[in-house]
Amino acid sequence: MSKAFPLRLHLAVTLAWFLVALYMIFLYAPRELTMGEVQRIFYIHVSSAWTALLGYFLVFLGSVAYLWKRSRAADDFAYACAEVGFVYCSCVLVTGPLWAKPVWGIWWTWDARLTSTFVLWLLYIAYLMLRAYVTNPGRTEVLAAVVSIIGAVDAVVDYMAIRWWRTQHPQPVIGGGEGSGLDPRMWYTILVTWGALLCLFVYLVRVRIGLAELRREARQLRRELAA
Amino acid sequence: MVNRYLVAAYSLVWLIFMVYAWSLSRRQERLKKDLADLEARVREASARSDAPGAAGYKS
Repeated sequence: MSKAFPLRLHLAVTLAWFLVALYMIFLYAPRELTMGEVQRIFYIHVSSAWTALLGYFLVFLGSVAYLWKRSRAADDFAYACAEVGFVYCSCVLVTGPLWAKPVWGIWWTWDARLTSTFVLWLLYIAYLMLRAYVTNPGRTEVLAAVVSIIGAVDAVVDYMAIRWWRTQHPQPVIGGGEGSGLDPRMWYTILVTWGALLCLFVYLVRVRIGLAELRREARQLRRELAA
Repeated sequence: MVNRYLVAAYSLVWLIFMVYAWSLSRRQERLKKDLADLEARVREASARSDAPGAAGYKS
């Protein structure tokens, strides 16, 4: 993939996509009538949340592939997705309270959606700490895969929380029931923003996988020198 | 009027990504430097073992 779509070109496409997304967020999307300007946090908050959930799903897939095939590439992919997914999950937890405060009057509440997102963030940390501090080859990957499976369950609960329970967090406006929905311009804006965030996600995962490959190469050379 | 929550949200997201990108590039630089050092050491070691008389030293 790196030959077909070099990293520098990928980065340039991502940055251009972000410029379009920012134009749409601040100039194209209409001002929401009830919340006003602050509602524009929606675009970055929701698309980061979708990407963080997708990231955890990819960690889960990579981990299952590793458990099944013992594939080094699948494990590298899972590890990279976990690290980048953690960054996106952090964005969700930062932008959420900044939107909640002016709209709900509180920074945070322990409702089902917010709590399950916070648990997802903690699970991302658990996964990354496990990878960093348990240095038993073979075993680390298996333990991390187990954490990723638990995380996948939480990711489903997180996604479904606002559908299963009444929460302080709004009911879904996208993919929700009757009466939910968005102005078409808001729809285009959120889709373009999500596209930009996904493009950045893939870019960061590619760079992170490259790091894992460099690390393995260094380890191999160290072994050769020690032999 | 510019909404301070809106500005804070987008600024912090930008900051989070910048910090992560910086951390990735620092790790990449360090690994590339390590690799270059290791490759030089491997080359040196193989040159020493290929040198005439190297076997004699070994025995």
